[in-house]
Amino acid sequence: MDAAQALTELMQLSTQVETAVVLGADGTALASSPEGSAAASALAASAHELLSAASDLGSKQEVTRVEVELADGAVFVVSEGGRTVAARTSPEPAAGLVVYDLRTCLRSIEDEPKKKRTARKSKSESEAKPEGEEA
Amino acid sequence: MRKLIRLAVLVALAVWVWRRFFAPSGPEERAGISYADGSSIVLEPSSPGFERLAAIARRAIGP
Repeated sequence: MDAAQALTELMQLSTQVETAVVLGADGTALASSPEGSAAASALAASAHELLSAASDLGSKQEVTRVEVELADGAVFVVSEGGRTVAARTSPEPAAGLVVYDLRTCLRSIEDEPKKKRTARKSKSESEAKPEGEEA
Repeated sequence: MRKLIRLAVLVALAVWVWRRFFAPSGPEERAGISYADGSSIVLEPSSPGFERLAAIARRAIGP
């Protein structure tokens, strides 16, 4: 599943998420919802800043999650495996559920290369079979 | 028995008055950060660093 599909699935799954964006390891936006909106661009910029600010505040370890809940809404940033997903939600969201949905979104993007590797293995196995039969 | 009922009513009234007029109202503001080593911190409006995160988040939330 690519980033855009994963994000579409996230928006269908979570009623609390209003805007979401997936960022690559280099910080470029891989997908956003609503696509190309000013809100998504602002969210992407804020996600970078939040990760940087969070890194300054606590231990010097890699930041995996930042959530800021305010009166007008909340911003969640989840980083895993080099990718980052950020979401803006309505006020007083179910934080645990939103973070779970964001993690699921990130992991569904990572599934693609693993499937390809499995397919390659099965090919090599099928090529190996005739040799075995010859012997 | 009457005294007990009167006491229960008074306690309920006192709790309602406290919640209505003195308890903090509106949604609670907070920030949370988790790190790769499993540690996490929770920041409240009075915590140092909260305003920095809140200011960044406000730009994303918008007006």
